[in-house]
Amino acid sequence: MSVAQFLTIFISAVFIYNVILSRFLGLCSFVAISRETKPAMAMSLAVMFVTTMSSIITWFIYRFLLIPFGLTYLRTISFILVIATFVQFVEMVIRKISPPLYRFFGIYLPLITVNCAVLGVAVLNVDMFFINGKAIPGSFYYSVFQGICVGLGYALAMLLMSGIRERLDLCDVPKAVKDFPLAFIIASIMSLSFLGFNGFKF
Amino acid sequence: MDILIPILTLGALGLLFGIGLAFASKKFAVKTDPRLEKIVGLLPGSNCGACGGAGCFGFAESILSGKAKIDACRISSDEIKEQIAELLGRKLQKIAKTVAILHCNGGIKVKDRFLYQGMKDCVAANLVLGGQKECVWGCLGFGDCERVCPFGAIKMSGEGLPIVDANKCKACNKCVLLCPKNLFTLVAITHPVYPALSISKETLQEGKGGVYVACSSHDLGKDTIAACPVGCIACRKCEQVCPVDAIHVIDASTSLSINPECNRRVDNLAVIDYNKCTSCGKCIEVCHTKTIRRRE
Repeated sequence: MSVAQFLTIFISAVFIYNVILSRFLGLCSFVAISRETKPAMAMSLAVMFVTTMSSIITWFIYRFLLIPFGLTYLRTISFILVIATFVQFVEMVIRKISPPLYRFFGIYLPLITVNCAVLGVAVLNVDMFFINGKAIPGSFYYSVFQGICVGLGYALAMLLMSGIRERLDLCDVPKAVKDFPLAFIIASIMSLSFLGFNGFKF
Repeated sequence: MDILIPILTLGALGLLFGIGLAFASKKFAVKTDPRLEKIVGLLPGSNCGACGGAGCFGFAESILSGKAKIDACRISSDEIKEQIAELLGRKLQKIAKTVAILHCNGGIKVKDRFLYQGMKDCVAANLVLGGQKECVWGCLGFGDCERVCPFGAIKMSGEGLPIVDANKCKACNKCVLLCPKNLFTLVAITHPVYPALSISKETLQEGKGGVYVACSSHDLGKDTIAACPVGCIACRKCEQVCPVDAIHVIDASTSLSINPECNRRVDNLAVIDYNKCTSCGKCIEVCHTKTIRRRE
């Protein structure tokens, strides 16, 4: 466990293997909610929160339930179960404790339940930080940190995309590509430019 | 037997989470008035904001707490409002129906001062020396109001001016707030004085019967007419001819130059007091610049 490791995780998760633009996970929310910056940022915050928390929970589930019973092949279904339950629970708590925050997250929090970026992080964590069914030293901290960084990478992509789309709204574009087609074209160009990070090796 | 372990593990996990969630939903239950859901269901759900609430949900909350009048919703039909009133055991208080009207009649009749090549957007054009038109007070004609109208009530005509369809207009105030020249106001068309007049109910519903001053130029008459052939030159002929003393030309010097009703500058313009106006149309006949018009 060293600072260099954390830095590597940070740079890989945010830039090189950006969850949206390189791994192509969580694309539906990326296209649907990136029309304006404010909701895009709300969604990103919600995703960051859920990826972090689900990294913590799924690590415990994997380490103390699935590995001892030799059930690692059940990770997908059990992770989905955990994440869905957790998101539901958080929604209830937020609704009770802080109605303004509840209204701020609005529809986004339940949407994240089915966001594949969140499941992606959980699966990536167990792929990267467990070797031969054993947790590598510091794997818990790495997992949590990776959860945060993937959320950051998501926020970065959302911020870029919403900024571009907000400006494009004011441009004169052919009717045939207005809105979603243009968003797809832009997403692909952004993805290509993020491929440029691929040369970095740590 | 090997199959039992995964079944039991996942089953236990699911059961545990299920019980946990059931417990949490009891513990963290938020009490809401069941009537709120019903009111939200009855409201149109377009979240236009014309009522002054933050969307239909916010409006439903303020109806429930008694802060807002049910009739403040501009879109719902009377029957729906009656239903809501019945639900709450209150009486429906009627508010006069208003529509947006444009206080400008220039359009293509006003020449351009310079060639504007920027964004085709009134707010953007207004930033460049107040727009490209000779008249700095009038409509720029890029149709921001047409785009902002959530009900499709505003259409740009060939004359370069927006036309408001009184049947579609819900008086949501969006165009009033957006227009950089502040040209729109909301005027009551089911005015209390109308029923006493010869105007039939049908013409009112078609949006006819409202007399308005289609100009916003605060320039002196000489400068106004130089820029626009249909601008108000503040000649006071309408003032003299009005039988009920409803129309007045406001001098630039008087303290009345901001109309408190719509927070609009009105100096050097004829202004109609709709509490007195009977829509007789005498001012229309006498106005030689054809600035005073009847709503079409």
